[in-house]
Amino acid sequence: MNEWTSYQLQDFIPFTAEVYFRLLERMGETFWPLHVLTLSLGAAALVLALTHRTRLACLLPAPLWAFVAVAFFFQRYAELNWAGGYVGNAFIAQAVLLVVMALTGWEMDRASRGTSPPVVMGTAITLFGLIIMPLTATLSGGSWYQAEVFGIHADPTAVATLGLVLIMLRGFALWIAVIIPALWLVVSGLTLQALDSTGGALLFAVLAIALVGLVWKSIESKR
Amino acid sequence: MTPHIKHRITRRQSLTLIGATLTAMMLPTVSLLANTGGMRQKAFAGTDKKLPVIGMGTWRTFNVGSDPELLEARTEVVKAFFEHGGGLIDSSPMYGSAPDVMGYALQQLGTPESLFAAEKVWSPAGGSAREQVAELKERWKVEHFDLVQVHNLTDWREQLAALQAMKAEGIVRHVGITTSHGRRHNEIEQIMTSEDIDFVQLTYNITHREAENRLLPLAEERGIGVIANRPYDGGSLIKNLKRRNAPLPEWAQSECGCTTWADFLLKFIVSHPAITCAIPATTQVEHLRENMRAGHAPMPSAEARQRMADYIESL
Repeated sequence: MNEWTSYQLQDFIPFTAEVYFRLLERMGETFWPLHVLTLSLGAAALVLALTHRTRLACLLPAPLWAFVAVAFFFQRYAELNWAGGYVGNAFIAQAVLLVVMALTGWEMDRASRGTSPPVVMGTAITLFGLIIMPLTATLSGGSWYQAEVFGIHADPTAVATLGLVLIMLRGFALWIAVIIPALWLVVSGLTLQALDSTGGALLFAVLAIALVGLVWKSIESKR
Repeated sequence: MTPHIKHRITRRQSLTLIGATLTAMMLPTVSLLANTGGMRQKAFAGTDKKLPVIGMGTWRTFNVGSDPELLEARTEVVKAFFEHGGGLIDSSPMYGSAPDVMGYALQQLGTPESLFAAEKVWSPAGGSAREQVAELKERWKVEHFDLVQVHNLTDWREQLAALQAMKAEGIVRHVGITTSHGRRHNEIEQIMTSEDIDFVQLTYNITHREAENRLLPLAEERGIGVIANRPYDGGSLIKNLKRRNAPLPEWAQSECGCTTWADFLLKFIVSHPAITCAIPATTQVEHLRENMRAGHAPMPSAEARQRMADYIESL
């Protein structure tokens, strides 16, 4: 038997759906009501990005990436998956990157119009991460603690940041800033798919829209 | 002729009877089912020691981290496992927190004499084999491991040599190697032939029978115990049978005592003469009980085993 063809996606996920969703719920239980603060920071970052105060908009999500790295990946997810520590380091790297970009103002996009397609896509993705993602748990019959929230959980943090950078960055900086959020969403999407959760498809849809926005913005800026 | 009933049951007797029935129904099921004597056992590794034919795996199912609710739930599974005559529990440093969760359960329940603690060494976990075994003992909260295996043949030459040395020093009791999904059978065969190992762990179930060709006969010949992993093919076998609403054949019940698909699939595995035990994994006490019942007689004959395989193939 060919060794590599014998592997399935499930072989790389060392926990069950029950355990993973309980982990997300425990994050909600442990850190409530921090959610109010993180969501406020996310909303403020969106407003700042849309009003071209991009350096501050870039700075606001940075501490939240560091918080998710420590509270979610290092302290909890790494108990279940030996790769959790590596992902935590990647989240810390994203926090540092956002701070560096905010301090240097590297390739900030202060000229984009609110009606340009990449900005519309970025806004929609950010709103999806800030509002729709937390609501999906409660709409599907779960408790508020099961809601995945920007700045507390990894997925909405990555989704909303993906939308924000699409609005406020351009050129090479934009491509650099999306690498870690996009890679995590691929990993998370595959994890959810292996756990038979429909959430995986939503993450891949977000990624597809973000990719269209990225390419559009890159072509637009070269004209 | 209808027999004449001489003694009618009085109202008081009726009430007593109903009360007794209700009391019996409220008794914990476990205490009624606990029957360590009923589980089939097999000698292993050329010794006169015996192992119950149904063990327990922990891949995915016992990796619950520090979640208090799930730690308690898994402790209940371990409790039921021992109450139903279980012996071998298998884990690995690759399984996340599973060794810690087992340690938690054993601390709550006490370590029963019947426990046959099986672990693995796995190079990517870091540290030498000796360091890994020492750390795993602390995580399991046990004084020794009955079996330590080289996980998926990673660096098997160095790891197996280290385990052999630890066996000679009395730190571990038995040593072995593992594979799964039918991978690297040629290499497994070479190791079984050339090395002095007590156990081999491999995938063997009703739809993955490659091991029957060479590895199982070789294990019998060399007196090597065989642990069958993925007995339900990662859960997909049972899931597919239930989704198809496939009927359990009547002959399976009359000839082999199969009342559930778990019985059918597990009895097929453990009735192979070379298999020492199967290690189904579960998160639920009810499924654990189903698994354990499969270790009880009657077991299928060679002809019945062939019929079972043909039936599954026909579905």
